[in-house]
Amino acid sequence: MTLQRATILFLGSSTLLFAACGPAKPDSPPTEVRVVKVEKAPDDPGAPAWHDVPAYQAHLILQDLVEPRLLQPSTTTLAVQALSDRTHLAFRLAWADDSEDAMPGPARFSDACAVQLPSRLQADVPAPQMGEAGRPVEILYWSAVQQTRADGGLTRIQDLYPNATVDHYPFEALPVQGDETAHTRMAARYAPARASGNQVAQKAKEPVQALRAEGPGTLAPADFGPVCGQGDRTTTGWSVVLVRPMPSYLLDHQAAQVAFAVWDGGNGEVGSRKMRTGWIPLAMEK
Amino acid sequence: MARVHNWQLGREMSYWYPASRPKRQFAAVFDVNKCIACQTCTLACKTTWTSAPGQEYMLWNNVETKPYGFYPLGWDVKALELLGPQRWRGPMYEGRTLFEAAPKGERVLGWRPAQRDYAHPNVGEDDCTGAIEGGAHIQTPHMVWFYYLARICNHCTFPACLAACPRGSIYKRPEDGIVLVDQSRCRGYQECVRACPYKKVFFNPMTGTSAKCIACYPKIETGIQPQCFENCIGKIRLAGWLSHPDHAQEDNPIDYLVHVRRLALPLFPQFGLEPNIYYIPPVHVPRPYLVQMFGPGVDAAVQAYRAAHKDPDLAGLLGLFGSTHRAISRWQRQANMISGIGTHGAEVVRVPLREPIVIRDAFDSTYGVQRTNTP
Repeated sequence: MTLQRATILFLGSSTLLFAACGPAKPDSPPTEVRVVKVEKAPDDPGAPAWHDVPAYQAHLILQDLVEPRLLQPSTTTLAVQALSDRTHLAFRLAWADDSEDAMPGPARFSDACAVQLPSRLQADVPAPQMGEAGRPVEILYWSAVQQTRADGGLTRIQDLYPNATVDHYPFEALPVQGDETAHTRMAARYAPARASGNQVAQKAKEPVQALRAEGPGTLAPADFGPVCGQGDRTTTGWSVVLVRPMPSYLLDHQAAQVAFAVWDGGNGEVGSRKMRTGWIPLAMEK
Repeated sequence: MARVHNWQLGREMSYWYPASRPKRQFAAVFDVNKCIACQTCTLACKTTWTSAPGQEYMLWNNVETKPYGFYPLGWDVKALELLGPQRWRGPMYEGRTLFEAAPKGERVLGWRPAQRDYAHPNVGEDDCTGAIEGGAHIQTPHMVWFYYLARICNHCTFPACLAACPRGSIYKRPEDGIVLVDQSRCRGYQECVRACPYKKVFFNPMTGTSAKCIACYPKIETGIQPQCFENCIGKIRLAGWLSHPDHAQEDNPIDYLVHVRRLALPLFPQFGLEPNIYYIPPVHVPRPYLVQMFGPGVDAAVQAYRAAHKDPDLAGLLGLFGSTHRAISRWQRQANMISGIGTHGAEVVRVPLREPIVIRDAFDSTYGVQRTNTP
């Protein structure tokens, strides 16, 4: 057993012990993320359905296991709420962030957050740092830049640099004008990431991505169903809803585990440079 | 970190992955003395590969005026400053590489250029190091100087971009050593941009992914030199393949220039990446500047270049630069003729050691007119 794995088991065991110490007092903060049942899970952070849902205050820690690491803590707490209408599972994450980082560029990074669930229910959960080989996790990822794109921004270079002037793009040449197929084919030649189907490079309709991983560095698009959501800028930071299809193992009112991550783009956080949680108990409302 | 042998440093060094040299390594020699900064290479590349939204300031190939030209701004001086003292003892590098100097939590010692650093591709163009005093005459090395440094991705043997990508989205092709960003896997973390000391990986904000020079691999695969080589007006470039020094072949033109004659030198070898674009250093520039940029072999290289006109092999091989669009795998000299042999083993070009000189009479008796020289 590796030290990392032993640490995970220890943390997991101590969390379970804590949770098993009897019912919490009515006004004490939740010790688990409780999924509250509703008629319809909202994808709007401002929906009234969220008002009475208890918020779990997740403590975020540095991602300091794999390089490149984050060495100085940035976002330290995250308020988590969860709702379900039995077909969808929705999370609302709220955290403080002084700066709004919702535009891309050289050395500019996006504010972002993620929700992680094990792909299947098992007593011995995968490593909380994005799972491990043969023991995948499913991830919902929202980014402020993706939100900008989904909201219709960033379609032209002038959306990023208002004073930019461009003489000519090849796909605007006369021979391909009026021919949508030729135009698209020509444009694709200069955007190989988009042409190759890279999820990041597509013209996003939703600000949330469905991903899976089997360890750090293995993030890949997932097919666990359509996902959606929305992020709103608040007076103090972000309030983001991420919605995914209900994992089948949660339909049986079983408890599970969930983990979260937050990136402060203004602090240069991207990829593995992030604040994250370990596994947190996730319980369906009976 | 693994231990690998970097022959440019004359020693082992630390690298993120174990050594895995390709079957053959794409490499090139640029003769800096011949570059006129016409930027035809830059445009050839740009129109071919980077002409879409988000690529406006993406220059896989650029030519900058040294010492005050940079793209992006300060790319080299920033890396040199970060790295600190860089000591050589003869051919062995005693300082730290960018991998060995990586701070805690990082894979490579790097930095992130900001948006404004990409805003002025022509900064410093044609700026020389000082004013010329009245009555001065040219000395060598020149008392004030500048030169043009053409740059593409170095397709390094130990790429920092590859080491830094936490997703393994950058790979080095085993068949030719060309370093590529997997466009289907890249998630735009810009770790490669941060790590590459040459700053030859670029972030595209419109696709959210990074991209870099691909050495025109579709052309290389068919035995044709990349766009920036084929279109070089000054004929400063020669593309080919480089062997490990233990297996250098005299009839391989790149091996001959790099290993046998040691005329062409790597760019900032002390960074530790074992870059594969080699430069014949400019002969008129003060040595300390050149040694910092090209390593301790500068004196010998400049001396050999100055004497090249007396050396039929060297002069002949330099004549093959820009003589054909085909990539040259081997070369040979027979008397006063130099042949270039392509990737398929057939002769693709033959050039004379000395181009014949024809002097016309000043008066054209056929038409009864005085001839004039029109450049």
